Amino acid sequence: MKEENLQEKRSKILRKTSYIAVFLGLLAFLIFSILAAITFGNADLSLKDVYSVIAYKLFHIKRLSEYAEGAIHDVVWLIRLPRVLLALGVGMALSVCGVVMQAIVQNPLADPYVLGISSGASLGATLAIMLGVGGFLGGNSVGVTAFVGALVTSFAVIFIANMGGKATSAKLILAGMAVSAVCLAFSNFVIYITNDKSAATEVMKWSMGSLAGASWNRVAVMLPITLIATGLFWTQYRNLNLMLLGDEVSITLGTDLHRLRTSYLILASVMIGFAVYCAGVIGFVGLVIPHVVRILFGTDHRKLLPLSALLGASFLIWCDVACRIVLKNSEMPIGVLVSIIGAPCFIYLLIRKSYGFGGGK
Amino acid sequence: MKITTEDIRVAFHAREILKGVSIESENKELVGIIGPNGSGKSTLLKCIYRILKPDAGSVYLDGEELHSMSVKDSARKMAVVAQHNYYNFDFTVREVVLMGRAPHKKTLERDNARDYQIVEESLKTVQMEQFAERTFSTLSGGEQQRVILARALAQQTPALILDEPTNHLDITHQIMLMELVKKLNVTVISAIHDLNIAAAYCDKIYVLKEGNLEGYGTPQEVLTPELIRRIYRVESEIVYDSHGKMHILFL
Repeated sequence: MKEENLQEKRSKILRKTSYIAVFLGLLAFLIFSILAAITFGNADLSLKDVYSVIAYKLFHIKRLSEYAEGAIHDVVWLIRLPRVLLALGVGMALSVCGVVMQAIVQNPLADPYVLGISSGASLGATLAIMLGVGGFLGGNSVGVTAFVGALVTSFAVIFIANMGGKATSAKLILAGMAVSAVCLAFSNFVIYITNDKSAATEVMKWSMGSLAGASWNRVAVMLPITLIATGLFWTQYRNLNLMLLGDEVSITLGTDLHRLRTSYLILASVMIGFAVYCAGVIGFVGLVIPHVVRILFGTDHRKLLPLSALLGASFLIWCDVACRIVLKNSEMPIGVLVSIIGAPCFIYLLIRKSYGFGGGK
Repeated sequence: MKITTEDIRVAFHAREILKGVSIESENKELVGIIGPNGSGKSTLLKCIYRILKPDAGSVYLDGEELHSMSVKDSARKMAVVAQHNYYNFDFTVREVVLMGRAPHKKTLERDNARDYQIVEESLKTVQMEQFAERTFSTLSGGEQQRVILARALAQQTPALILDEPTNHLDITHQIMLMELVKKLNVTVISAIHDLNIAAAYCDKIYVLKEGNLEGYGTPQEVLTPELIRRIYRVESEIVYDSHGKMHILFL
């Protein structure tokens, strides 16, 4: 009996330490990814140059003052680092929202765009590119209108799903699909009647996503929002777990999910809106990363959320690196690359038997 | 804890499911609700565990009106084992049972050693401790039912609502579950299909038919050949075995 208890305790400790070890491991990997990713790029810089700039910027070491300005400084500090940090923020936001959306609609096939956010954003971008809507916003009018489009559609979906009774997961998914179809139809209509080939190409490029527009301004928006929202969602892990059991069971376990669901949706929509504003539409990250983490560490959101956040951030950083180096003298759209990597992963998940998906055995 | 319902009425569109049902369970009583399919047993229980709001009438827990309490408070007073336990995601058995501790937790409060201990004890009580690490969705229906019972036990409530708890269970575990529930020494309201189980374990039985109460009392008072004929339209005979236990034979 005593031995049994001891064994139980030991396995519990093992379980706990393995989670903490994985968490720290992923955190270390993320830091390594940031440091490694800034050494890749079109400009041929030595490792010493790259890290000297970083070291000077962070610690203002006198000896390295030659790196305070000039071409090397600009490439590393104004182009590469913000881009890597933006990839981190966007990757984290997409993964966390993927986890949250899958819980909210109780469907493992949901992704951050399930509320029609991507189509709404595309419509906004199309209007900006084709018709010059929001031109007064200057340089980043496309991003801003896309952000507005994303938020308007997701709020519309939340509103529609709440009409005539409480929003259920099925109503949310269906409302998302319907609104999405309308937005897609409108943007296709606009593209069709304006008949502007170069602008159409631009729309297409935008909808495949890119981190090339990275700047410190965008990082300053994206990173804090992502980190704060991720932290907030992490505190809600118990409610996210309950969401997977459904509204009825949750009530018997002391939580009325209805109001929580709406506030989670709003927070996730804002997060995704900013991700779209910064990098366009990048698919698959938000779908695949949560599933990969679930397969390895289970469904408990206390672990699932932070691990997905870290893994998603690292994943997008490396995808962006690949985008920069796969094609010579040109960049691959990150949405394309992520899907090329993500889709086979997803197929693998679908055929993997030990993963329940629908509780199917 | 005392649970009382007062003139509960529920209608879905034009169809009246419950036509004014009042039941009462004294503290630590095991109350059975029997009746044919569609008689309104589940609907009545859903009103009690507040996932359905009755069109009229109220439910009282120890004299306090149910909807005047927070959901959290009511979840600390009664736990539920019902039939909807299909999960789309892979939780382990331990994680499912741990959720029974949720009503006792504040937002940022962590699960502590005490919670884990309660979870282990609950699993042991339903003899599922070997399954703690298994994925819930890979268990058989009966095993899942026992895990859900363990979750309800982990809630540590003075009352338990059971909606046909012995469904999916083999005879060993049917008896185990009812013995266990009886021994818990809490107030229990349970919908029961099997009249012999009801006769063996209930302190009091309410009979529902087409949304109306058709009788109540001790098993001996209620379960008579006349009532069984009237409610279920089957002939039966009541016999007492050598231990003095009552059995219903269907002819």
